[in-house]
This record gives sequence, C-alpha cells and structure tokens, in this order.
Amino acid sequence: MTTLTRQDLNFGQVVADILCEFLEVAIHLILYVREVYPSGIFQKRKKYNVPVQMSCHPELNQYIQDTLHCIKPLIEKNDAEKVVVVIMDKEHHPVERFVFEISQPPLLSIRLLVTDCCLCFHSSDTLLSHVEQLLRAFILKISVCDAVLNSNPPGCSFTVLVHTRDAATRNMEKVQVIKDFPWIVADEQEVHMQEPRLIPLKTMTSDIVKMQLYVEERAQKT
Amino acid sequence: MEDVVLHYQPGSADELGSLLETTQKLLEPFPLRAPPAFTPWFPTLTGDRPLPIRPATPAPVVTCLDDSPAAEVRRSRWSVFTQRGVLQQSSQSLSKQFHHAVSVHGLHLRQRAKWVIGELNCGAARDIEEVGGIRSARTSCLPSCNANIQRERGEIWVFCDVLHSEQVGCFLKEELRLSGRIGLSVRRLGNVFSM
Repeated sequence: MTTLTRQDLNFGQVVADILCEFLEVAIHLILYVREVYPSGIFQKRKKYNVPVQMSCHPELNQYIQDTLHCIKPLIEKNDAEKVVVVIMDKEHHPVERFVFEISQPPLLSIRLLVTDCCLCFHSSDTLLSHVEQLLRAFILKISVCDAVLNSNPPGCSFTVLVHTRDAATRNMEKVQVIKDFPWIVADEQEVHMQEPRLIPLKTMTSDIVKMQLYVEERAQKT
Repeated sequence: MEDVVLHYQPGSADELGSLLETTQKLLEPFPLRAPPAFTPWFPTLTGDRPLPIRPATPAPVVTCLDDSPAAEVRRSRWSVFTQRGVLQQSSQSLSKQFHHAVSVHGLHLRQRAKWVIGELNCGAARDIEEVGGIRSARTSCLPSCNANIQRERGEIWVFCDVLHSEQVGCFLKEELRLSGRIGLSVRRLGNVFSM
C-alpha cells in the first residue's frame, strides 16, 4: 500500500475535468431555473442519471464552454476558491449569486493497492461513482431552488466570477487561455450585494474535492 | 432626583460633611462610554480581499420572438447577438428614410424585426400559400432570415435583423413580385417602417 500525491496521479486534472463538467451542467440549469433565458432555448437531457435542462443555443453554449475552459487551469492548480454564477438586473447589479466554494486537499491520502491493477481501477471507479452521486444531489437541489428564492426582475443577465486564492492579477495569465476571450478584474458593484439573504443549498465531501453551494439573494430585487 | 436618607453611626457626626460629599458622588449618574467602532478581524470583500475575475465579454443576449396568438403556430423562435462590434458595422447601406426610422424608434441594429406580407400584397392571381412556397425556397439565401405562414391571419411573416431588413424588404418585393406596401414590425412597437 502506498500514499499517492496529487501530482502522481494527476488528480488536479481529474478534479478539474469532473468539476468543469459539473459546472457546465449546473450553469445551464441555473439559467433555466432562474429564467435568465427563454425556456424555449432549453432541452431536457439526462446527466448524472437525472433530467437536466441544457441550452441548445450555440452562442450561449460556446460562451459557457469558453468560460469553463479558461477556469479549468485554475481549478487544476487549486487556485480557484469560488466560482460564482451571478445573475444581474438590467442595471448590472447582482440580484442572486450562486456560489460554488471549492476546496481540494493538498495531498491525497487515497491509499491504493498499486500491485493489483484491477483493484486500482476498481477503486477509482468506486471513487468516481461516489463523486457522481454527490454531484447529482447538487443538480437536484438546483432544480428545485426556485421554491426558496424570490422571482427575479425581467431582463436579467448573468456572468461568472472566479475568486482566486491569490491576487487575481497573478492568475490572469493562467486564465487567458483563449485568445478572443479576455478576462478582467470585476468591478466592485458587480460583486457587492446589499443585504443579501443566505440560502445554503448543498455541501459535499469526497476524497478528491470538497464543495459547498449556497445562494446569496438580494433582499429587494425590484 | 428623589430624596435620599443617609443613615450614619452616631459617633461619626463630625464627619457628616465628608459623608454627604461621598454620598453625593455615589449618587451621580454613571459615566457613559461610547464603544469603539467595530473593526472586523476577518477579511472582508471590500477590504484586503482581492476582487474576483470575470470574462470581459458579456454573456450573449437571447431575445424570444413569440408573437403568434394561434396555438398551433405558436413556436418559440430565438435569435442571438452580442453587443460587441455591432455598431461598428456599416450602416451606410441604409437609406436615409430607414436610418431615420431606426433612430426615431431607438432600434438596435441586431434587433429582430418582421416583414408582414398580407394577402393584398400577393395580388389577385396568387394566394399566400403560393407566395409562401416561393418564400421558403428563396429566403434561405437572405441574411439571418426565417419565415412562416400565419394562415389564420392570411399573412407571411419574414423575420430578420433590423440591420438587414431594408435589404430583405427590397428583395421580397422584387423576387416575390409583391404589390402595394409591406410593413416592418418590431415587437412592442408595432409597425415602424413600410415600403
């Protein structure tokens, strides 16, 4: 038996792949549930063995994919502390913030029997299956979160904010992986929300990642 | 202040003055101390916490065009545009009259509009089904267009961006040999231009 580090198994990349795949589904679902886009552009799909709503709008899909493609290196290096889907009103003031707080263990204490390759694969399959179950619970919570949130004003838009562990400027180079998709430091008015109401949605703890999702909702939306 | 009775031992009458003074001091109201302003010891968003980063490009705007009142033809249509670079596109190709209509109604060049072709435009010899057939064959070459027949209204609706609508309107009139004037309609505003 041995203890493997993140680098040994390139777990950072695995975690980034898993989380970005999850975040893509989550963002689509949030945009659908919170009616940021017309429901006509969404189609029902199946992910994590549960029904989800995914946009079939090419430009929106591309935007979300580009955003996550840029975030992936930050998650891989454990530099992303929070990924926040912000829904803003017409004046670009946030009305809701879906905060995905991510924490990864620096050293993985996954003890694998490396002598038995089959067992090794079996262990990783079990691990991924467990993570998938946990992520499914997040999706289910998002799909019913409209029951605990107030309606948003018409004409809302969204953006994705990434809170980094270090100063954002240090991570700018890492995130600029697509030439025509630049990143900037957010304005304070885009980040600050007056009198937010905190609604915890879901928390997960696994061997490779810990994550919690909560919503900050502005008290007066109109 | 109410009357206060001071009880003192009989032997201490000489010190009555000092007793009264001490009592006076004791009866003075307690001094009020303003608490210091609260300074959070934890990092705050606006303080030493760095601001997050975000994509410089805003998310695309999707407008839903769902104008038809008839249930059987009620289908959501959508179009997409980004704000980036739209206004940089040349609007010199627009006629003065159309440019005027755009500025009067405050239209966005990427906003969707629709040409409404009525039965009267089709002429006596043809009906909208016939013209609609020609429409479906020919509008595919027009920029960002889609069209449908509103049978209940006896109309053909041809959707396009405001930017291309004058060009599309001219094309429709010429290619479909339409008679009379056709109107360009915009959601919420109604008819904004005709030719």
